Order: sequence, then structure tokens, then C-alpha cells
Amino acid sequence: MHDNPKNGDFLLRILLAGTGGQGVITAARLLSEYFVRKGDQVLSAQLHGMAQRGGAVQSTVCVNSGISPALPRGGADVVLGCEPVEAARALPYVSADTIVFVNTAPIVPFVLSQNYVLESGPSEYPGLHALEKSLRAATLRVFPLDATKIAQDAGSLKTLNVVMLGCLFGSGVVPYPSQDFIDTIMVLAPPNLAETNTAAFKMGVEFAESLNVVEQVS
Amino acid sequence: MSHPVLKDAPGASVCMLGNHAIVRGALEAGLQFFSCYPGTPSSEVGDLLAQISKPAGVLFEYSINEKVAVEVAFAASLTGARSMCSMKHLGLNYAGDPISTMPYVGVEGGMVVVSAGDPSAITSPNEQDQRHFSRFLYYPVFDPATPADAYRMTRYAFEFSEKTRLPVIMRPTTRVCHTSGMVEYGPLSETRNEIRFTKNPPRYVPIPVNARRMRRELIDRFALAEELLGRSDFFPRHGSGTMGVIGSGVGYAYASEILNELGLFDRVSLLQIGAYPIPETILSEFLASVESVLVVEELTPYVEEIVSLNAFRHGRSIPVYGKNSGHFPVEFEYDPDMVEDAIRKFLQLEPRTVVEVALPELPPRPPVLCSGCPHRTSFYLARKVFGKNTVYVNDIGCYTLGYGEPLHSCDVLLCMGSSISQASGIARTTGKRTVAYIGDSTFFHSGLPPLANAVQANDDITVVILNNYITAMTGFQPSFSAWDSQYPDSSNNGQKDRGIVLLDAVKGLGVKEVFSVDPFDEAQTLDAFKKAKSGKGVNVVICNSPCAVHRVRVEPDGNRAPYIIDQDKCNACSLCVRVLGCPGIVVEDGVYFIDASMCDGCDLCAYVCNRDAIHQVEVREHA
Ligand code: SF4
Ligand code: SF4
Repeated sequence: MHDNPKNGDFLLRILLAGTGGQGVITAARLLSEYFVRKGDQVLSAQLHGMAQRGGAVQSTVCVNSGISPALPRGGADVVLGCEPVEAARALPYVSADTIVFVNTAPIVPFVLSQNYVLESGPSEYPGLHALEKSLRAATLRVFPLDATKIAQDAGSLKTLNVVMLGCLFGSGVVPYPSQDFIDTIMVLAPPNLAETNTAAFKMGVEFAESLNVVEQVS
Repeated sequence: MSHPVLKDAPGASVCMLGNHAIVRGALEAGLQFFSCYPGTPSSEVGDLLAQISKPAGVLFEYSINEKVAVEVAFAASLTGARSMCSMKHLGLNYAGDPISTMPYVGVEGGMVVVSAGDPSAITSPNEQDQRHFSRFLYYPVFDPATPADAYRMTRYAFEFSEKTRLPVIMRPTTRVCHTSGMVEYGPLSETRNEIRFTKNPPRYVPIPVNARRMRRELIDRFALAEELLGRSDFFPRHGSGTMGVIGSGVGYAYASEILNELGLFDRVSLLQIGAYPIPETILSEFLASVESVLVVEELTPYVEEIVSLNAFRHGRSIPVYGKNSGHFPVEFEYDPDMVEDAIRKFLQLEPRTVVEVALPELPPRPPVLCSGCPHRTSFYLARKVFGKNTVYVNDIGCYTLGYGEPLHSCDVLLCMGSSISQASGIARTTGKRTVAYIGDSTFFHSGLPPLANAVQANDDITVVILNNYITAMTGFQPSFSAWDSQYPDSSNNGQKDRGIVLLDAVKGLGVKEVFSVDPFDEAQTLDAFKKAKSGKGVNVVICNSPCAVHRVRVEPDGNRAPYIIDQDKCNACSLCVRVLGCPGIVVEDGVYFIDASMCDGCDLCAYVCNRDAIHQVEVREHA
């Protein structure tokens, strides 16, 4: 987060990355709605392909930024990577100031797991270490976590996206109390998931708070 | 609870999808009639209207194709209704015939044709620039840069259309359609146009004698459009510098943000082109005030060439940069970095500093037919019978994913409905039976005429209609083959076997040999394919089975128990993976197993396995 010289508001550009079915688009929608309710200006772009499951998904949520729907190179303040390869795919948007939360549980693309002969690309899922290293070469603020396990502990794999949102709030870059966001979940998320979502969100917040993200890096 | 788009809350600030902003703009303008054929990135316009048309009092239809959508909406306009229809860029081509003559005849109620563009061909077989329809066929074209633009332009467009009697085109691109941005609501319209059709054949019938008169009037009406646009606020100017930047669509949004961030508005003047025809005076006044111009627009140098022409006509000899000068590539979407680079070059600033970070090669995640997709079964079984030398012509839909490994079911593809006609052409010259794959929605869209054509020519083709009862790829809109889901209240349905519509249609066109099968009944389906292969002339195999994704959404018991691979029997021969490509099957360290959370329980891999190693789990665990 930094100050927006244009209107004195804060400015925050968040990139959510993951694979189809991980709830990236839903998370972007929850976040957008939350900031709108706070009275901020929100611009959120979704990059999604066909209806089929399993593709790469990137969504942006830009708060008080401007009118451009796409991020420039290095333009993300925060990257929430729901999957290691997808976090790495967001690297062009990472600068030395970017905070990256990355889920360490891989989802291996089926073209690899079924040994397809590909025209391009690697024949194996890249090593987690190598992925993390490239992210760290771009920014020191890389925070890996097993969000998949946290979501399971919270009660449902479906809350993975909310765990990642918890990290965002726990990192201290959002200038509002995290309890507010729980209210948004209560209103907007499916009621049967409200409790697990809240638990998952709190676990994400706790994880990020324990890191002292903002202090650690400045 | 009524949908937020229907809220009568003037002044409310709402974050909405570009496509939904178009709907809001139309509702505020008093929309009365809407029709569409879905197509990415336009589909959310129709999908939202499908939900709210009743409370909003809008007559709604998912049309059978774009030509029909345009024609019904135009006719509704002739009775006075404010009408709108939506489609993707290619849909506008399909509606090319009515589109060509509508400006001649002219509208009564305002009419907006939304035709969403797909620069970079993200979900289309081509990219194209619909702005050319403006000069080509006398259409005012609106070119929004943001959802807020899309909203205010649509709201404006209806009255504008009535004043000029011209139908108008709204052309958002993917980055507008699929971006959510702030829109400030205005009041919802309280009045509606009166519906009345007054007979006046010379007005509505463009036979040559009338068409020539209309042609003359059209030129005047188009001039009026230019004059009205000249008084609109779709051409805002920012900054005071003598270096001119002109932007259209999302290119304008990028340029505006970059100039703002770099603090360049004292050196630069920025002009947005929000609509066409570009008012001559707005452009000439802008050009008179700058020494040099950079044009930021995607797809073709459309504005760039109009700018050059305008400068020439007004004796302004200034350099005009853009695509022709190499500041921008001709093809594909722009991004903020590209625009920043061009602006820096234009202003002779230092190039942007770029820190390159090495990245391991990342695996792609190509789209794939879902696990349990009935198309996979149909492809597999057909190939088993027709073999690898038969030419498989495919069509537009999820089934295009039969392309490449491992299904090899898409050797030729062109456009909506082309599979049957292309199969005809190939069969006639090669003398070999050719297979055409086409989905139910696409078949009704544009497959009927080529099938009738093939019957007439007695072509040796086998048409496989992949009937999944839905328009899956664009987001599960109803298909004509599922009559009752499109018109849930209509009384003329009640047909239990909904595939009957399709069967009757095919027979009605004169196809003698028609098979209607369930692809998951492998024996029945193989038998049909065998008979079709040895048949003469045109035959049709209709494979009826609901889309796997849609089935579990609508049927409470749609979940089928997953399958497992018995490790004692599996000898890792890899057959199932080599021929099916179902994402439910996972190979790890040479061990084959099925991911229960992905498996749809379709039975195909069990059918394929030679060693009887794959079985259904007895009871499904509910997650
Ligand atoms: S969405 Fe439906 S039709 Fe499309 S690939 Fe999936 S199961 Fe098949
Ligand atoms: S039964 Fe086999 S082919 Fe069918 S969805 Fe499950 S894993 Fe895929």
C-alpha cells in the first residue's frame, strides 16, 4: 500500500492467481465488494478463458488506482498465489516492493501428469525451490504457506481463497480492521460456508500477523 | 431480493462488470426488447438480462443465432420499442445481411447492437475491428474505454439512435466487458416508448426504388449523427501540452493512466475517441493545437488513418505515429508497458527500466474437455469405427477441444456451422466419407442449411450431432434442443425426451439414415457408427447426453460415484491416458490412479481398459 498522490487515498493493487476452481474470481469479487462498501474506488479485471476447469486464472483488484484494467510490469503491491506455478506466472507484476503470499501445495497440470508431448514448456512440474528462488530474486517479501492444509484444517478445501485473503489482511496493508471483512463474508458468501470461511480467514490473518510483514521489510 | 442492477438509486456508486454496465445503461434508457446469441466476451450482457428481464419488463430471448437476434430486435424497433441485441464480433458478421440494410430502412425505437471484440483472439478464431462497420455500412460505433463509459454510452445511444434513425453498434472489447469498475447510477427510466406499427411500405420496404431514396437520406442522417456526437462528451480532452496523444478503447485507459503517473499532462494533450464517426471539427481543432500525434488504438490503424486524412484536409502537416510508424504492433492487444514504451519513444524520454528475473519454464494449463464430458466418449467411439485416416471436420463449441492429443478429432475448423459444409466439400472431391462434428446449439445456429444442402447433393458424410442440451462453452445458456429450459413457462412443451426436437429436425430435412444414441451406451453407439460408416449419402448420428458440468448443477442426483483403478490389475500400459485425456486420471511415478474429486463417474476409462482394472466405487462419499 502507498499513498495515492491524486486524491490522498491509499492505493492498493492486488493480483490473485491460481487455477480454475480455486475460487480466485470469487475472492476478487468479495474483495471488490468489500472495498466498495468502504467507500473506495475499485477496478477489478478478470482474465478467464473457456468454461472448462483447470486453466490458469488471474484476477486483479485495484483500489483507488485509476482506469487501467491491466497492471504494468512490477505493478502489483500484493500477489496472492493460490498455487506455486501460478504465483510464479505472476512474476512480471512483481517488483522489489511487492508482497507475495504463495501457497506451497502444487496442482500438477494434467498435461504433465499424463505425460503429453508438448510443443513447448517443461516435461516436469518445476521444483518448488526453483519457483521460490525466482520470486525471491524479484522481492524479499515472499511468504510461503501451506494454505491448502490450512483450508482443510478450517473445514473445507473450498476456503483456500479465503485463507489467502486472510493473509492479505494479516499483512497490515489494508487500512481497515480485518473483522470488517468477516462481516462481508457473512453477507456475501454462501451461508452454509460462513463458519468455515470465517475460521479459514482468521487462520490466514493469524499466519500473516505472525510474520510482521510490513515491519519486517521496511 | 431484486438484482442490484435494478436498484432505483440515482447517485449510487456501484462496482460492476463492463457487460453489466451496458445492461444498466440500457435499463435507464427504457429498454423494452432484447435478444442475443451468446459469445465470449459478450455473454454476460444476455445472461444478466435473462435473470432480470421479467421484473425489468423487458421482452427477452436467447435467439437461435445472431442474424435472427438482430432481425427480431430490429423489427421490435420498427414497432417503436427501444431494443438491444448482443453478440461477439463474429456474430456481427453472421448478421451481415440484415446489418447491411438496416441503416437504409432506419429505426423507430432506438436500437443498440452490442458486438464485443476479442483482440488477441483469446476465445475466438480471429481478431477483427468492428469499428470499420462505421464507414463500411454507416453505423455510429461506440468505443468504450471503461465500464463507466460502456454505461453512459449505452444510456445515450438509444435517444441518439432515434434522432438519427440509425441503429448503432456498441463495441466493447474483452478488457471492458470483463473488467469491473465504478459506475454511478442515474435514474431508471419511468416512461417507455409507445408500441405501434403504422403501415407505410415505402418507409419499411427497401425495394430498389425505395432503397435509392433511403441511400440519399442515409447520408444526411449519418451527417446528423456526426453533428450530434460533436456535441456529446465522448471526446474529452486532458492536458495542455503540444504533443498530442489520441486514444480509443482500452488504449485510451492505458495512455491516460501512464500520462497521469509520469506527470506528463503539461507536455501532452490527450484526446479520447469514444465514438465514430469522429466529428471533423473536434479532430481538426485538436490537431491545430499540437505539433505531433501518437495514436493509441488496438487492432487496426483506424483512427490513425482518419487523423492523417483530417490533418491533410485541413492543411496540417504534422507527423502522425501509431501502428504505421512502428510505435505499436498491428496485431493483438496492447498492455500498459507497450503503451508506456511508445509514449516514451514519442516524447523522447529515457526508456523504461526493466528488471529481468529468470524464471524456470512454467507448464501450460491448456483447456481440456471436462472429466465425464460426453463429447470425449463420442469422439473415442467414432474414431474406433472410422479410424485414423478419416477426415474429422469440427465446429465451434467445447468439442473443438477434440483437437490434437489424444483424441485427434479436429482436422479442419472454420466458423459456426461450417463443419457440415466443409465435410461436404471434402467428401465430394476426395470421394471418401467424411465426418462432421457439431453441437446442438451450433447445429440450430447455422447447421440446418448446410445439412439440407448435403442432402440435396447426396454427399457421403456422417454428421455427428453432439447433443448436450446446452450452450456450454459460453457459460451454459439454453439450447434449442432443450426446449423446456428456454421457455420454462411455455405450455407447448412437456416433451420428456428433449432430443426429439433435434431428431425431427434432421428427419424433416430429408435425412433417411438417422441414429439417436446415448454415447455412454457404448454398444448402441458403436453399432450406429458402424452402420453410418457403411451407409450411402448423408447420415446423422445424434449423441444425446447432458453436459457433465451442467448435469451436476441442475440434477440433484447428478453426481455419479467415482471410479478407482485396481492397482493389482493395472499394469501401467497407459492405454487409458493415451486415448482419452480425461483429467480425472493421474499418473505419479508410473502409478495410475483416479483423482476421486475430479472423476465424474462416466465409465469411459473402465470401458477402455483391457485388463478390467477400473471399477466404480460402491458408495459415493459426500464431501
Ligand atoms: S462444459 Fe460440458 S460440454 Fe463443455 S467440456 Fe465440460 S462437460 Fe463437456
Ligand atoms: S470414469 Fe474414468 S474417464 Fe470417466 S470421468 Fe472418471 S476417470 Fe474420467
